[in-house]
Amino acid sequence: MIIVIGAGPAGLAAAEAASRNGSEVALIDSASRLGGQYWRHRSTVTGYRSNRADLLFAKVKSAASITYISEATVWSIERDGELIRVNYLQGGSESSLTAEKLILATGAYDRSLPFPGWDQPGSMTPGAAQALLKGHGILAGQSVVVAGTGPFLLPVATGLAQAGAKVVGLYEAHSPLRWLLSPQALLLNVSKFAELIYYAGLIRKYRMAPRFGRVVSRFDKGQVTITSVNSSFALKRKRALTFEVDVVAVGWGFSPDLTLGGIVGCKERVDVDGTTIFEVDGDQLSSQKNVWIAGEATGIGGADLSLLEGEIAGLSASSQKISSILRFARFRKQVFADALKCSYPVKDGWRSWAEKSTTICRCEEVSLGEIEESVAELGAEDSRTAKLFTRAGMGLCQGRICSRNVSEIVAGLTKCSVTDEERIASSNRPIAAPIALGLLGDGKK
Amino acid sequence: MQSPDAIVIGAGIVGASSALSLTNAGLKVLVIDRGAVSSGTTGAGEGNILVSDKDPGPELTLALRSRDLWFEMQDDVGDSFELEAKGGVVVARHDDGPLLKLAAEQSQHGVTTQKLNQSSLHELEPYLHPDFHSGVFYPQDAQCQPMLAAAQVIRTVIARGGAFISQAKVTRIVVENGAVAGIETSKGVFRAPIIINATGTWAGELAQMAGSHLPIAPRKGFILVTEPTKKYVFHKVYDSDYVTNVASSDADLQTSTVVEGTRSGTILIGASRERIGFDGSMNYEILRRLAAQATSLFPVLRDVQLLRAYRGFRPYAPDHLPVIGEDSKVRGLWHSAGHEGAGIGLAPGSAALITDAILGRESFMDGSPFSPHRFATVSL
Repeated sequence: MIIVIGAGPAGLAAAEAASRNGSEVALIDSASRLGGQYWRHRSTVTGYRSNRADLLFAKVKSAASITYISEATVWSIERDGELIRVNYLQGGSESSLTAEKLILATGAYDRSLPFPGWDQPGSMTPGAAQALLKGHGILAGQSVVVAGTGPFLLPVATGLAQAGAKVVGLYEAHSPLRWLLSPQALLLNVSKFAELIYYAGLIRKYRMAPRFGRVVSRFDKGQVTITSVNSSFALKRKRALTFEVDVVAVGWGFSPDLTLGGIVGCKERVDVDGTTIFEVDGDQLSSQKNVWIAGEATGIGGADLSLLEGEIAGLSASSQKISSILRFARFRKQVFADALKCSYPVKDGWRSWAEKSTTICRCEEVSLGEIEESVAELGAEDSRTAKLFTRAGMGLCQGRICSRNVSEIVAGLTKCSVTDEERIASSNRPIAAPIALGLLGDGKK
Repeated sequence: MQSPDAIVIGAGIVGASSALSLTNAGLKVLVIDRGAVSSGTTGAGEGNILVSDKDPGPELTLALRSRDLWFEMQDDVGDSFELEAKGGVVVARHDDGPLLKLAAEQSQHGVTTQKLNQSSLHELEPYLHPDFHSGVFYPQDAQCQPMLAAAQVIRTVIARGGAFISQAKVTRIVVENGAVAGIETSKGVFRAPIIINATGTWAGELAQMAGSHLPIAPRKGFILVTEPTKKYVFHKVYDSDYVTNVASSDADLQTSTVVEGTRSGTILIGASRERIGFDGSMNYEILRRLAAQATSLFPVLRDVQLLRAYRGFRPYAPDHLPVIGEDSKVRGLWHSAGHEGAGIGLAPGSAALITDAILGRESFMDGSPFSPHRFATVSL
């Protein structure tokens, strides 16, 4: 049997591909519907080329050899000789599933950067705004500012506009001219122009005026301040604009969810953009025997790349042939993914946006001032020591949101760069999801 | 720093308190660490300052003095590191005979003990399982935030003329005519006639660099951290099997559970011990056993969510006593290591012992049971 964890584009593609030769597949996902973060759990997904999702949903649902386990949260994975045991929580009890092979397709979550007010009600990530809309049909606010960096801002802004929100501002921190650095990516992915034209049409239709080189630098009781930045994200304070808005949706790309692969012991490395990702071979096989990884956890690249990686992982895990056409398709999307990293990097200048009182770790309410003090007064030199002194990263999210930011803030204060070892170590979370002590103890041998 | 009088290797709590004690004795001290402050065992500890788990003997004498020195150190350093005499409650799971016998012996050696019956036990710990009917209260048991403590102590050392260099890995110990002369590190060469090896789990490696021998091995332990909850646990609570585990040299895994609440509202569950070298992997069966034991003590914890778990390595010697004193072969090389799970509690006491020995002054106790010389005969 093959266990696939994650029912987003990569996991769905993996399950579908593996089931083609009749391999038994168990597809585990924490949500109640297929689709993952990207195809937000609605039976009929709307958006660019969303028919792909419906097609895949139908195939996965009709495949006799796929068992779909929904609303199941994996909290740990153990090796038991040659077998892999996945322990998960479902409906208030704990269950396990054992298989010879495992495909991880755990995806990614929005990256947030701290600015004054980023933790206030009304401030959220684009992913959260989209989740409210697609997952629950809730509009986050009547008037919305969408900001940050990366192409994901486009589906979010246009999606909110289509649902009736007034998108009063769409701010991209970088210049679109950065794409000139990667002409090969565009030539290899001409289809992307069609996607751009699709969004450009919607932007015009809803009279949004995208602005470049600007960020949300403050959000305070419904007042947003937009400030120009230079190419390294340093604020040009003289060029600021303040106005009222219900919601600011600000996102800075994505962080892969590395928790489960980390538990299994899969080798990680640091990508060109400083993101920690898993190392996989041409068949998406990780450093661990019989563990494949597909999708964002092997490098942020979007749904198109995730689908291809998932398909390759599924074919490889079920010992099917992988065509060179498929491999070339993945190569083209990888070139595009690299261009995305090159076009929308998160620059160090963000470290000057926060003020002393700005919260850096939301779970434990640790401010920038406290982190500065831990470095200046107590000798913190990395995110681990800063965490031990301030509790930053010890809360409910276990540093998923803040640990990378803390590392980079501390590195800035100590005038060092964050080492790869530190980036990799901070993704170590042996308890992947909270589990009640009673359940945990009841599972004792 | 130009020509320090002494170099302390290791910026955990043992090294930090040694540095402070030597500084207060008038020496110019340089502290070196391969990582940052508190980055080894200190950074993975609960901050236990216990007298309750020690049998009468030299370790208990050291623990009692060290416990008082913690409060003196807090007055000296002036900064809070969450030091608190919260007290320990030890309960008997089955037969309370061995526990009461130990408590009686301990009380003859200066430990304050108070026998608890059904009602006094549940008055102290109202959420304890009703089946527990006998226990002992140890008001001297205390708690601190060890990482903060080490950092605050090193900060004081620096303020008093000492120095701290982090991320400096020792590559060689310079020995001339049977005595230490200095160390070579990844951040330069430093010379001093006194070197304190406070490197915890690496202490054996360091002794080897000086051409000596110290049988210190790492022993893995896990700590579970829950979500913040209502205050359910008021003291350090453990069942009396723990006391027998500490003195065990059985290499198999043993678990016994110490449960306590923290200021941040989380509950810590710890005290498993396993001797398997530096293998950092997580053993979920241990977590399950710890959880089962904790919930058998406090059924109310069944619905509390486990949020995190972390592991650390405790340095231990074959006879489970710390190693404190001058090396058996190399003059001027002093060891303070192998404190196992008691390093936080024993740190300032060990520092006082070593400082007194270096200065040739009388100390609060005879330190010979901790001498590294006890391993000299088994070194080959």
